[in-house]
Amino acid sequence: MKKNKTDITKRKWFQITPGVVSEILPLLCVSAVLVPVFAISLPWPDQTKKYLFSSAILETGAQNLVSSLYLGYRAFDTLGETVVLLTAVTGAIMIIKSSVHTNNSYTFSQQNVPSKTRMLRTELLDTVTGKLGPVVLLFGFYVMLFGHLSPGGGFQGGVVIASAIVFLSLGSKSDGALVLTKPGVLLWIEAASFGAFLIAACAGMITGNGFFTNPFPSGFPAHAYIIFLNCAVGLKVGAGVSFLCIEMIQNKE
Amino acid sequence: MIERCLIFLLFLTGFHAIIVRKNVIKKVFGLGIINSAVVILFILEGSRSGNSAPIIQPGVQDVVDPIPQALMLTAVVIGVCLTALALTLVYRLYTHSLSLHIDEIRRKIHDTTH
Repeated sequence: MKKNKTDITKRKWFQITPGVVSEILPLLCVSAVLVPVFAISLPWPDQTKKYLFSSAILETGAQNLVSSLYLGYRAFDTLGETVVLLTAVTGAIMIIKSSVHTNNSYTFSQQNVPSKTRMLRTELLDTVTGKLGPVVLLFGFYVMLFGHLSPGGGFQGGVVIASAIVFLSLGSKSDGALVLTKPGVLLWIEAASFGAFLIAACAGMITGNGFFTNPFPSGFPAHAYIIFLNCAVGLKVGAGVSFLCIEMIQNKE
Repeated sequence: MIERCLIFLLFLTGFHAIIVRKNVIKKVFGLGIINSAVVILFILEGSRSGNSAPIIQPGVQDVVDPIPQALMLTAVVIGVCLTALALTLVYRLYTHSLSLHIDEIRRKIHDTTH
């Protein structure tokens, strides 16, 4: 360690060594490729913007154009995105769980060292997160439910809900005191909301329309379908991300 | 122009972290920084065509293009998935080699396989 320190102090900053060259050369190569991408600014095409501005409310019912895009025009892409999230959560949990059972692995419990998360939990953290959790949860539901009217939507609201659930799980004195922070419950919420999303996707087919068309009869307000999809996506994202975080927190306890 | 230069510097920071840093967790941070740089670039491009948020209300005329924002919503979610998966892989490597230094990890894996 000491030797390294003297090496660093001896090395002048402008001295050209193979290490420095190998650090700078890739950066220069990437710059040569990417500077045109970042620097050139062409006139922005705005035909689609004009079309969306004039007809998005009529076609999807959402005032927020971003919501009308990702749940109306490009809902299929959102389905793929939720599948990616599901795959990532599944893979991460599988890797964590399988690495616990390997023989030569290092675990805190074997070495009788107090768990890191235990040590990091102070009284201050308990109190603040416990009090803040319900407020953040309410805000998350607001962002999720009003995604068609205001900035926000399913994904954003879902991530806020996930942070609220992580707050609640950090703030509860005994682990898993709240129903919402139990991994099994979160798993069921995620599965149920993904099922609801798939059912909503297929519901248009019963009435003779295509995949992801609005199944509600014409008497309904047009944005009901967007709200339903927002809720399904938000609950799924919230449950999935918080499940991942809680599994990571509680893994070594 | 200054904002483009800053975004490019952000991108280079992430790239530098990936190729130069020896700590595996810092490499994962670098991936996240590159993801953020690309997201900000897209939002900047989309914001050139208007002034107000893409929410249709009475009196609002000059909205920005919503398409880059909707695309970047996807990119942000994929970025979160990528970071989570990469961190679990780092955790797995740590449980096997008890180190986060990439050369140390490579040496340990080489020792166990040969």
